[in-house]
Amino acid sequence: MSISEQEEIARAQRDAQAFAPLYDRYFAPIFRFLHRRAGDQELTADLTQQTFLKAMLALPRYQPRGLPFQAWLYRIALNELRMHWRKRKETVVELSFLEVRGLGEEIGLQEADEDMQRLARALSALPEEKARLIELRFMDGLSFAEVGQVLDIGEDAAKMRTHRVLQGLREKLGPRT
Amino acid sequence: MKQRYHITPEGRAPLSDADIAKHRDVRKVIYNYQRAQHLLHRKPLYKDRRAFLALLLIVLLAVLLAEAGKKDEGPEPGKEQQAPAP
Repeated sequence: MSISEQEEIARAQRDAQAFAPLYDRYFAPIFRFLHRRAGDQELTADLTQQTFLKAMLALPRYQPRGLPFQAWLYRIALNELRMHWRKRKETVVELSFLEVRGLGEEIGLQEADEDMQRLARALSALPEEKARLIELRFMDGLSFAEVGQVLDIGEDAAKMRTHRVLQGLREKLGPRT
Repeated sequence: MKQRYHITPEGRAPLSDADIAKHRDVRKVIYNYQRAQHLLHRKPLYKDRRAFLALLLIVLLAVLLAEAGKKDEGPEPGKEQQAPAP
């Protein structure tokens, strides 16, 4: 986190009007993050507004601790999404070949329809917390430190758990080529 | 909550910057924040002495009016006092 961003956060903690630069910087990433999961644009817009409102209300208690502000916002956004879907038993996430390219390469899969369908089935079979790790790391492109902050675990734990999930997927989907 | 994944060559229709920009409204979020702050820090009625006294006065007036209304109506028709037997 840059010094100027730290100053912006400190200003916004004292004065709500000073939140605008942070909102402008992070609106698009948070919108995309939520849209990837929610799908619908109007729903995403509502959830994004709600995320920033919750962030403003919680900002006086925010402590940077050297971690990116964006990860803190992702965490609030995930909670909003969970709250919205708390009565649903199942949700559908639509991904493109491009979005799972990194994950496919990590597991050793071809970017072919058959392999992608196998990957989709394997991801669908993962428990929620494991699927969340994979999404944050490979679809959202977060660092392990950021993944850790979003999920409220340490960086090392995020790294270890992700490697375990990847290992499980490799075993399930065949050896890496 | 279970998540099901669909992986297709194109995935979901991509979002353009214009799609995102039309939902961006910092004034709305600041307005909602100020409203939320107002609601969070609003004094409860029982702690606001003037509002509490006003409410008490209204309740007392309502009770008095109801009582006065009952007296004007007189005794209920079925409950008239019967003359004592000779």
